[in-house]
Amino acid sequence: MAAESPSSVRKVVVHLRATGDAPILKQSKFKIAGTDKFAKVIDFLRRQLHRETLFVYVNSAFSPNPDELVIDLYTNFGFDGKLVVNYACSMAWG
Amino acid sequence: MKVLASSSSSSSKLFLSLSPLSAPPTTHHPPGMDIIIPWDGSLSSTDFYLSASAFSHNWKISNPSLPPWLWLPSPKHSFLSSHKVEGYLSLENMCFIKLTEEQESNRNLTSKQESDHDVSLGEEEEEERFDYATLVQSDCHDVNHYDFHIVYSPSYRVPVLYFRAYHSDGQPLSLNEIEKDLPAHSSKLRSESKWTFITDEEHPYLNRPWFKLHPCGTSDWMKLLFHGDPSSSKNGFVTEQYLVSWFSVIGQVVGLKVPLGMLDTVVASHS
Repeated sequence: MAAESPSSVRKVVVHLRATGDAPILKQSKFKIAGTDKFAKVIDFLRRQLHRETLFVYVNSAFSPNPDELVIDLYTNFGFDGKLVVNYACSMAWG
Repeated sequence: MKVLASSSSSSSKLFLSLSPLSAPPTTHHPPGMDIIIPWDGSLSSTDFYLSASAFSHNWKISNPSLPPWLWLPSPKHSFLSSHKVEGYLSLENMCFIKLTEEQESNRNLTSKQESDHDVSLGEEEEEERFDYATLVQSDCHDVNHYDFHIVYSPSYRVPVLYFRAYHSDGQPLSLNEIEKDLPAHSSKLRSESKWTFITDEEHPYLNRPWFKLHPCGTSDWMKLLFHGDPSSSKNGFVTEQYLVSWFSVIGQVVGLKVPLGMLDTVVASHS
């Protein structure tokens, strides 16, 4: 939950998991402020992978809106202390 | 390889009542026959109906302030005329309120501070603050009205989004005008991903020109969405979830957000 004092911004561990033929990141886990939007995760992946077209999804069930806050996604869909985010590059995008 | 649940088995997994709609047909496969094939990301028209029922119900619970998705049965002529569950989902009179550029930049500038303030707020309130972005249903003066339809495409065997937009005086919006209403990440998505192109086509039931988000590629990314995780313990695909998952992607293109509460159900019944 986001009910913490404003001074200590809650950090969320995001675990980035490649699917399909997407390149695997050297560092697959990183921390991000819960108050950041999911867009930041997507941008991070874009920069890391040098790909413009990415398909990013959570729990093999849905693709989060970039406007969602990371903390909300974590609260709803995180487990084992982290939010698992899958990403793919190829498929029908090209 | 995944097991594609047949309608008969998946209907027992229905996590929602279908109250607003009539009872779904129980099966279209011979009873007891589960199809075990690699799923290709598509769905049958019966499954589309089942999924649409769940989606519509779920949306109403999670989005009480927004217009509902209603199933509009279409009894007459069309390419699927023999089918009993023919129809489509419709959400009409959604109003886009465009933030001015000034507001938009203010919002970006202050978002950091805002976030800090919000930490102390309850979740509900926080959600509200961050949800103000695009869609409000209120008395819609000087705003653009949007109608969305989700129609099943028998050739692609996937749902397809049709939409149209008009000014308060009833005059239709051009695609250029519509694009100005869409969130920034939508235009990004559309310019980057070749599947998300919008065409002007005849609405299959209304026979009038509507904008259509082209369905090519849909089954591929749906397949990826459900099956991309080989280590997952899930062993089936639940028909009812299809539309929620589908809409989590499609909604981003047209600025419609799926509330996290709705996705909760998908994830819960999925794992």
